[in-house]
Amino acid sequence: MLLKIAWKNIWRSKVRSLVVIIAIALGVWAIIFINGLTVGITRAYINNAVNYEISHLQMHHPQYIEESIINYQIREELSDLQEVEGVKAISQRMLANGMISSPKAARGIVVRGIQPAAENAVTHLSDLIIEGEYFGSKARNPIIIGQEIAEKLKIKLRQKVVITFQSKGGDIVAGSFRIIGIYKAKNSQYESMNVFVDQKDLAATNGEKMIHEVAIVVNDINSIDQIQPLIESKYPGTSVRNYKEISPDISLYESQIQVNLIVIIIIIMLALIFGIINTMLMAVLERIKELGMLMAVGMNKLNVFMMIVFETIILGIVGAPLGMLLGKMTISYFETRGIDLSSYSKGMRQFGMSEILYPHLEGNVFIQLAIAVLITAMLASIYPAYKAIKLRPVEAIRSI
Amino acid sequence: MNVIITKGIEKTYNPKTIPVHALQGVDLTIKKGEFTAIVGPSGSGKTTLLNIIGGLDRPTSGYIEVGGKDISKLSDNQLIDFRRENIGFVFQAYNLIPVLTAKENIEFIMLLQGIPKAQRDKRTLELLHAVGLDDKINKRPIELSGGQQQRVAVARALASKPAFILADEPTANLDSLSTVNLLDIMANLNMQEHITFVFSTHDQRVIDRARRVVTLEDGVISSDVYVDQ
Ligand SMILES: Nc1ncnc2c1ncn2[C@@H]1O[C@H](COP(=O)(O)OP(=O)(O)O)[C@@H](O)[C@H]1O
Ligand SMILES: [Mg+2]
Repeated sequence: MLLKIAWKNIWRSKVRSLVVIIAIALGVWAIIFINGLTVGITRAYINNAVNYEISHLQMHHPQYIEESIINYQIREELSDLQEVEGVKAISQRMLANGMISSPKAARGIVVRGIQPAAENAVTHLSDLIIEGEYFGSKARNPIIIGQEIAEKLKIKLRQKVVITFQSKGGDIVAGSFRIIGIYKAKNSQYESMNVFVDQKDLAATNGEKMIHEVAIVVNDINSIDQIQPLIESKYPGTSVRNYKEISPDISLYESQIQVNLIVIIIIIMLALIFGIINTMLMAVLERIKELGMLMAVGMNKLNVFMMIVFETIILGIVGAPLGMLLGKMTISYFETRGIDLSSYSKGMRQFGMSEILYPHLEGNVFIQLAIAVLITAMLASIYPAYKAIKLRPVEAIRSI
Repeated sequence: MNVIITKGIEKTYNPKTIPVHALQGVDLTIKKGEFTAIVGPSGSGKTTLLNIIGGLDRPTSGYIEVGGKDISKLSDNQLIDFRRENIGFVFQAYNLIPVLTAKENIEFIMLLQGIPKAQRDKRTLELLHAVGLDDKINKRPIELSGGQQQRVAVARALASKPAFILADEPTANLDSLSTVNLLDIMANLNMQEHITFVFSTHDQRVIDRARRVVTLEDGVISSDVYVDQ
């Protein structure tokens, strides 16, 4: 009965109640949308980093991690790494820190000597080529460089660059390479740091073939925790790290964005709380006489209090699902189509974010949100309800 | 049997600032089945007295007993319960919950008392019949005339089977036809069901219907007469 009265009371002031309901719906929608964006951004960031750069696991000489000099190579026999249960693909790389120079400029870079097919299976480099082609043609000393570097060096496809680095013997060696492809990475920093050459060519320049890094992709990202120790025990002389260890900024990024999200949610919730308090106070003050009468004829304070609380919660119960529905629809719409951020993407790409964002929602968000909104409404109802029971019936009635 | 006893009731508003001595020693005893009008000019203390008798307000001093119980000892919350179980109220206006129908308004009190549905329904219909509103059962207050609303209020006041009904100027907002009508119903309930009524008024037509007329002047009873109808 209290519920019924509360429900009916809400519709006494239709416009006002609708405004509150819409406000709640919009608040919920905003939270869902921001949440979806956040999850989308995080996932894209991790996926980009994992799929195109870091891979799931990497193996190095333990000292190479501290100091990436050419002598710290992996000496283990790696032929049966591919056979480890759960491993999908591996790429053995020879790395050299050096310089790339064109007639116009020079830059410090990491030269990645790769086995073209293996590398492509791991980091999908060929997908990133925007000009020219991937390794495989008969060109001599081919090199693939990033768009950023090409611009900085003011150099074009099929032109030549010189790569210089310190060889194993300690001499500075140089090789001339012809640009066969230009790639554009998800992360512009990565793009300006890495150039790719065929491992054979790099070995020839160096005078010896060496392996510094093995990137590993597993079948199921969730099985990393099982596969990592397996590989570690198989190759005790190496260091095997997973993508979170390699790129601590991934976890940092995840938690940072989580904090931002919570702050935004709190702000929205606070705005809602004050909106609801204001409305419900109005609803109480408007009804002083009636509430006084109710208490006069024997409606006790608990009942009056609950009536106001119910009225508030009902607003939440109507508004929240509406917002959830809207939020769900918005996310579903953009989840497949994506949100094109290319006009802002110059800035975004520096942080490894995609230009097209695919928001995503996890199911439990809805439950959490539903509870949060109900708590919000309940909190917001306390003060108005308290005001209502503080009314003294004599005075309320006398004001007639 | 006495349903209300007051002895030396005094009520002073704003004792610390500008004291208003609204009641200055009221001794009044109301017996079961009486049909009493509290009359007097505006400001004479009628509302104050009814509020104190009804447990809505507390006297500054004096003794008050309702239904054999000294209500000055009750807490605010106990008073609310006491009012619900023992006293029926009819106010000048705003008696009904606007969002509920006539039936629901009457039922509401019984619901708060925890009376089972079947009993509630039966009694609601009886009461609506008693106030002559059988056909308005599902009407909301806004769809009723002022007189009809007051009749629903009387029915609502009766719902809890109170010891008596207090009505503070119940006809003040009514036209004369509705006034007569409401008085007829109240008088009938008094005669046939022996319901005790205490109502305040300054309307001579209403005073003429009372069987006991208590006159207040400046917070004291200046006359108290039983009238033979
Ligand atoms: N809350 C209050 N504060 C101060 N004075 C009051 C208050 N209520 C009533 N009074 C005063 O008490 C006196 C009696 O008022 P009331 O009981 O309302 O008389 P009546 O109902 O006969 O018109 C009046 O002088 C009135 O102004
Ligand atoms: Mg009065």
